[in-house]
Amino acid sequence: MAEPLLVLERLEKRYGGLVAVQSLDLAIAAGEFIAIMGPSGCGKTTTLRMIAGLERPSGGEIRLRGRRLNEIAPWQRDTPMVWQSLALFPFLSVVKNVEFGLKMRGIVAGERRRRAMKWLERLGIAHYRDRPVDKLSGGERQRVALARALVTEPEILLLDEPLAALDANLVVRMQAELKQLQQQLGITFCHVTHSQSEAFAMADRVVIMSEGRLQQAGPPREVYRAPANRFVAEFVGANNILDGTVAEATGERVRVDTGIGAFDVRAAPTRPLAKGAKVALVISADQVNVAAGPAAEGNVVTGTVIGEEFVGAFVTLHVDLGGGTVFRVQLQQHALDKLGSVQGKSLTVTWKPEHAVLLSNA
Amino acid sequence: MVGTIPTTSATGGRRSRGPRGFALAFALPMPVWQTLFFVAALLFLIVMTFWSVRNFRVEPDFTMANWVKMLSAGYFQDTYFRTVWYAALAALVASLIAFPCAYGMAFKLSPSFQRIVASSLILPYFTSYLVRAYSWKILLTENGVINGVLGYVNLGPFAMTSNLFAVLVGYMTLILPIVILLQYFSLAHVDRRLIEAAHNLRCGALRTVIQVVIPSARTGLILAATFAFILSFGDFVSPSFLGNNKPPTLSILMVDAVKSGSQWPRAAVVAITMVATLLLVAFLAMAFAYGRKAESR
Repeated sequence: MAEPLLVLERLEKRYGGLVAVQSLDLAIAAGEFIAIMGPSGCGKTTTLRMIAGLERPSGGEIRLRGRRLNEIAPWQRDTPMVWQSLALFPFLSVVKNVEFGLKMRGIVAGERRRRAMKWLERLGIAHYRDRPVDKLSGGERQRVALARALVTEPEILLLDEPLAALDANLVVRMQAELKQLQQQLGITFCHVTHSQSEAFAMADRVVIMSEGRLQQAGPPREVYRAPANRFVAEFVGANNILDGTVAEATGERVRVDTGIGAFDVRAAPTRPLAKGAKVALVISADQVNVAAGPAAEGNVVTGTVIGEEFVGAFVTLHVDLGGGTVFRVQLQQHALDKLGSVQGKSLTVTWKPEHAVLLSNA
Repeated sequence: MVGTIPTTSATGGRRSRGPRGFALAFALPMPVWQTLFFVAALLFLIVMTFWSVRNFRVEPDFTMANWVKMLSAGYFQDTYFRTVWYAALAALVASLIAFPCAYGMAFKLSPSFQRIVASSLILPYFTSYLVRAYSWKILLTENGVINGVLGYVNLGPFAMTSNLFAVLVGYMTLILPIVILLQYFSLAHVDRRLIEAAHNLRCGALRTVIQVVIPSARTGLILAATFAFILSFGDFVSPSFLGNNKPPTLSILMVDAVKSGSQWPRAAVVAITMVATLLLVAFLAMAFAYGRKAESR
């Protein structure tokens, strides 16, 4: 990784006895698109606000290009932000909103107007220049907010759930536009969101937070396929989690006893596991297969279909495996067609040992 | 299902007619009161400006003499502009003094403290304004409390009554708490995220007040100043008791016209001029407060 642009070191934020962010270490490279995600109250927005200087850290350090930011007033930083509410100035026209940051830097009127118009044109809203901002649609206002933040050509742009208020179609379009913009500009985007699809669609690296702590940071695929702990496994994707104990560990292959049977899993050899150790198996819903008849391959268990969920071309079956365990199985619609009607039917559920992830359940 | 729909709409219709008539009956006294005691009185006042006075008796007439006499009189013109100037000055001074106070309340105090301060600003209105203005006189006169204290350190005595200063002190007694309250209410509704956004765009603390807070609270700030102007413009107590009628304002002129010579029609001319002025000021202020939300060059 290149020399990090922004470094958070043992960053903490406490409100009285309440800990919002706890000992957070994170390095963000120049030109990286990073998404910080987690449930509400996980400390993601607080982290972003500390970077912008809107909250003062209780401990630790924030460094931008090696310069300590902790004591720097927000108006002395170059960390423009796009708010969820957009926070456009309602008493100013579109172009004056965009010019605001330039005006504060003492740039003369003519130059200000020229640079603001360049951004309005780039984002395709130049014809709205003299409109009041409250006369624009959600997507147009979004662009004004982006132009206002980017007009000063910062090294980093902070985004605090700016797409949360838009309707679903617009969200997908804005995601593509944001990603494209970030790649063209080559600047760092630090995007806070609670939406997994948003984070995974845009980010080079995803940071998962929970209860003020960093849970996992890595490329979206890695976080999705190899969750680092139980929280991430539950939060990201549609995972089936089985608690159990190690029955046998020979080299790469570990056999785990669970309430519904013993299953094989391929574990990283770096982690020696003692017999009887408490572990959890994580099996992604899209890695599970179902068949009407018996199957021989991999881990096999039978169960009864108790529900079906349809989202587009995908179906999620809820399969009761007994002992209070319900598996989610994600199939494509055409795969389900082959099985015919499945509701209430008994099916064989299988998955390959290499498709399960082993978490220590200490 | 099909059967129930007409039934509910029928009951709904019948129900809504009942309370509407009922509510109207309750709403009626206010328009009646307004018509009788404001509109009718105002119309009568307009009519009276065309009447004449003979042997200290007001007689119905249709003459322009009162209007011509008053509007062409130098003392009326002087007094008119002076009163406008005093009221404008009072509105400006009150707005300037009130702003830091209202700003501090809205942005620096905890919500519970804000409530305490806001309710304490209503307290002055528990006592009559006349009493409060009069008590200022005890403090401000030549051998009053303030000059007495200053005398100990060999200062003064300063003339603090019968001048503009005294009148302004009186006006402040009347308008300052209400101006602070009105400003506070509008400042409390300023979106904090706009302030953060300004800071985020390199706008310093003081500059944010001018660039973001004041424009955001504009409507309320103008309304507060308008209120201050209206109250000061028509006030009789301060210019009379603290200013000792020197120099006079329109309200004093009006009282004088009645007292010396029963010139009710001329007093009515002054009154109608004042009402017209206030309507104009209120209209301009509203246009300024609500119009041109987004300025664009």
